Amino acid sequence: MLRVGVDIGGTFTDFAVYDEAAAALTTFKLLTTAADPAEAVLAGLGRIAGRASIVHGSTIATNAVLERKGAKTALVTTRGFRDVLSIARQNREDLYDFLSDRPEPLIPPSLCHEVTERVDAYGRVIVSLSEEDLVTIAEQLPRQGIESVAVCLLHSYMLPEHERRVGEKLRALGIFISLSTEILPEFREYERMSTTALNAYVSPLMDRYLSRLEEGLGPTELRVMQSNGGSLSAKQAGREGVRAILSGPAGGVVGAWHLAKQAGCRQAITFDMGGTSTDVSLLDGGIQVTSEAAIAGLPFRIPTIGIHTIGAGGGSIAGVDVGGLLRVGPQSAGADPGPVCYGRGGQLPTVTDANLCLGRLIADHSLAGEITLDPMSARHALERLAQQAGLRPDHDLDLAQAAALGIVRVVNAHMMRALRVVSIEKGHDPRDYVLISFGGSGGLHACELARAVGIQRVLVPPFASTLSAFGMLTADVVKDYVQTVLLPGEVSAADLERRIQPMRVMAQRALGKEGFAEERIVLEAALDVRYLGQSYELTIPFGEGFRDEFHKLHSRHYGHSEPEAQVEVVNLRVRARGLVQPPALATVEEDDADPAEALLERSQVVSSEGQVREVDCWRGEVLRSGNRVAGPGLVLYPDTTIFLPEECRAVVDRHENLVIDV
Amino acid sequence: MYRQPRDPIRLEVFKHLLSSIAEEMGVVLRRTGYSPNIKERLDFSCAVFDGKGRMAAQAAHIPVHLGAMPRAVEVCQERLRLEEGDVAMVNDPYHGGTHLPDITLVSPVFVKSEGASRLCGFVANRAHHADVGGISPGSMPLATEVYQEGLIIPPVRLFERGTINAGLWDVVLANVRTPEERAGDLRAQIAANRVGVARLNELFARYGIADTQAAMEGLLDYAERVMRHTISTLGDGVYRFSDVLDDDGIDPGPVTLTATITLRDGEAFVDFAGTSPQCRGGLNAVLPVTLAATYYVFRALAGSDVPSNSGCFAPIHVTAPLGSLVNPRPPAAVAAGNVETSQRIVDVLLGALSQACPEKIPAASQGTMNNITLGGWDAQRGRPFAYYETIGGGMGARPDRPGASAIHTHMTNTLNTPIEAMEQAYPLRVRRYEMRGDSGGAGRTRGGDGILREIELLADARLSILSDRRSSRPYGLFGGEPGKPGRNLLLRGSEQIELPGKVSLDLRVGDVVRIETPGGGGYGRPSDEDL
Repeated sequence: MLRVGVDIGGTFTDFAVYDEAAAALTTFKLLTTAADPAEAVLAGLGRIAGRASIVHGSTIATNAVLERKGAKTALVTTRGFRDVLSIARQNREDLYDFLSDRPEPLIPPSLCHEVTERVDAYGRVIVSLSEEDLVTIAEQLPRQGIESVAVCLLHSYMLPEHERRVGEKLRALGIFISLSTEILPEFREYERMSTTALNAYVSPLMDRYLSRLEEGLGPTELRVMQSNGGSLSAKQAGREGVRAILSGPAGGVVGAWHLAKQAGCRQAITFDMGGTSTDVSLLDGGIQVTSEAAIAGLPFRIPTIGIHTIGAGGGSIAGVDVGGLLRVGPQSAGADPGPVCYGRGGQLPTVTDANLCLGRLIADHSLAGEITLDPMSARHALERLAQQAGLRPDHDLDLAQAAALGIVRVVNAHMMRALRVVSIEKGHDPRDYVLISFGGSGGLHACELARAVGIQRVLVPPFASTLSAFGMLTADVVKDYVQTVLLPGEVSAADLERRIQPMRVMAQRALGKEGFAEERIVLEAALDVRYLGQSYELTIPFGEGFRDEFHKLHSRHYGHSEPEAQVEVVNLRVRARGLVQPPALATVEEDDADPAEALLERSQVVSSEGQVREVDCWRGEVLRSGNRVAGPGLVLYPDTTIFLPEECRAVVDRHENLVIDV
Repeated sequence: MYRQPRDPIRLEVFKHLLSSIAEEMGVVLRRTGYSPNIKERLDFSCAVFDGKGRMAAQAAHIPVHLGAMPRAVEVCQERLRLEEGDVAMVNDPYHGGTHLPDITLVSPVFVKSEGASRLCGFVANRAHHADVGGISPGSMPLATEVYQEGLIIPPVRLFERGTINAGLWDVVLANVRTPEERAGDLRAQIAANRVGVARLNELFARYGIADTQAAMEGLLDYAERVMRHTISTLGDGVYRFSDVLDDDGIDPGPVTLTATITLRDGEAFVDFAGTSPQCRGGLNAVLPVTLAATYYVFRALAGSDVPSNSGCFAPIHVTAPLGSLVNPRPPAAVAAGNVETSQRIVDVLLGALSQACPEKIPAASQGTMNNITLGGWDAQRGRPFAYYETIGGGMGARPDRPGASAIHTHMTNTLNTPIEAMEQAYPLRVRRYEMRGDSGGAGRTRGGDGILREIELLADARLSILSDRRSSRPYGLFGGEPGKPGRNLLLRGSEQIELPGKVSLDLRVGDVVRIETPGGGGYGRPSDEDL
């Protein structure tokens, strides 16, 4: 049996194919077919002989929202509250910009319908549901050309009956219906409504896309990557598309976690630097999941891997602002025209141009051989920038190099800030963590960044550019359940257990239906807890001592706790994982330490301190397990380059990771 | 043209380092605070200062504290000469504060160098507490003296060389209605400063005192250059504008605000001569509030990523007559200066600047925060309750696009309390929460619409409303119509009783309060079909 991970990116669609019988992993890339992404996916899968089980990272849901091309969706809500989506939280995004606007809601006011009914905060019916209103709405929806309906009534997480009745009535119309209590029985009406609206908006598209794939594929098992790092069945994805909405970067984090464990490391920070943005995520004995996610300013409270994204990458453009500071990003040259050195019309220097000028990228050995880099045009653009910034040649460095080094320092400052957000600001000391670097540009910055925040070790996996597709092969099947309870903290663990039990049963049954035997199912219960009166919860594993756990975690995150204060249990959570056997990658016998075979011509590089040095270069694919190399130097792979600053020592481990002590 | 900074790269790097300290302080405060004002409404600020007390970075949370914190640091340092381990506390509006609910903590940062400890900086945070005592719950009363508004805390040491001043702590908690919540908020504030002190210390340790100080200095110059550049693009000249606040809730109105702005060679001179004398009610805005509103306007014109530091505000010179609404003498009441007058100051300044650079200035936004407080005894939960909310309204039309609807503008940006959270916590039920249709002014581009919110009381309660633009209207620009004024209504049985803009009264179970917030003004003459 073959297992295939497929990841659709902006430029390439990546495939990772694992042959269970042969225990062999192969990866390849095809150009993404933007107009119909299924085309590239089917073409790639067509190359694979035999029955396959596929995990697919799809951008259908993401793009539907970003491009506003989802299903024509209506909302049904409690009378008096039709504008909740438009009002949102009544705040503006930018404090100091008269011209900034809030994102338009996915469902325009004209398609928001009200039904007479009201439930109070304790789940008591105050006004019973008006069947008449339902009849009226059921007549209106088809006239409005509605394809999908989000139903979200006030306090439905306490009493779902009214929503269910609405659903029953409207499902008779034969259109897609998403009930808030089915997707997120959690309090806070705007966030729940927004989640439900997103789900109704993307699910029909997801369903159509997956059906087309399934038709094209014939009998095969098709699963879809979720934002929480697990996968779900194609059938469920067609109903709960919102769960896949930020699945793009999830594969990489899951893959990185797998490699980290394999390398014997439980604490790591992933660093995925691409062309226009950089994703970082903290792994602390596992993948960290948050339920405070948003896409294009629209929140959804579905468990999502805690990934912090910043708008800085290899394509970020550098410039001088009106006050004379050197700035990098957020504007990006993207892939088209791309950096100046691509020679496709880009005029403004980017981070990639800077790395080229510093000798850290080598012109004739870069970017999968697809693009020839032109160092001279990059230098001219950098010189212009240096003049604007009033830079002067500095010791060893000429003008272009001074500007280039500045760009790298500034973009590193951006990324340092991102690393701090996920670690220090959450009570984690970066010195305890390993930096796992992947993505096209990561290797050029990883070591310098690690040093700047006190990280002592960097790990670069052997297939850094297809890590996401590989990660999908390692992803468990995951189902998340939540229920708001708002119980006083004195509640006994036994009482909580009694409430959690039905959720466990539901979760277990759902995984059973997907063919998981009991011994391959792991159920984890957790609680969202806060001090009575706070508005933000911390999620802690459920157990007898949950109160103590909460105080401890609060102290870790925020530097103080109040063991005497009353706590409140806000939500119950159950996560069910159907365990997937990850690919058993062959380990390689350690060779001797001498990397002579991989040695390339020496090359001139500008060091972190701004000196021009002649350094060693090695060909990454030729390095063998056990080989040791030391900075300053460059390790060149077909799709990425690793810059080793002075005094860095690296070794290729038995899994062919490059492990760098910085 | 601008002067070149000595090191454009290092400064950019430091800009990130310093603002991430202020932001991290904010994360701690927000996540662990108890007052809805802090955790939901982000009514707080965190900032980092250099050794001379000049603000080096402020995290963007709420504009009404913009540039108002250096004064608190200055006063605390002047009076107390802070030592290592001290934490100063202040809320006195006449000594570095703004209004009483805003409590500010200031911590000095001492750095070890060659065996000695040197004062190298300060961190401070200011947070709006839900109650600081006084004559009514929520401490935003209709008062005539600051003494009635709550507990006044002059600059005092809350911590002395690392040890808490337990007596002071007890005095504060004995004077407020919800002491546990106050204690929780103060602990969150202490934790935020502690994080700030530690991070700033790390920064000095890593980059050295001299280099860090030089970078702070350089960033002040940088922000000043950006601000001078911004002002120089607005169009030199003298511009004057007046607008009114409806009344102060005590005496009949209106109350006039007048500003004359002179723009010249990259500097702005703002003179509030012509503004009404200080009033008996709480509309008086102490000077730091007036400065914050003024700084906000220019800061917004400078683009969103300039560091909000002292340099940024150096080219802006404010003259506010002592004894006037915008610079009162003690003991004038000041609670609403922060929330209402600050909005009108912005309206007046934007009105003046619309003559200088019409293409950059929006019409008037709702111009009020619609503060509503409901407090009383919650029999069902067996505890007192105090609910406080500010309600968004219409944004003024922009030159190139309509104003946003149902949104907080200018000096505030507070989130609403989720209805489900509010009904979980208080004996209140929301009956309607919707857009107030057709409340934005017509124009070539339209003003945004306000909000309509109806709250039913499930227990007897005292209602306080502090709102404005109930008779005056948010102005339109260049032929645009003004927005509709707001309305406050009490629905009792079949009766519909119009309430004043500023009011305190006792309500009964079953009463419904309806607030309709103002729409924004329109921009440009509307075409016929828009009218």
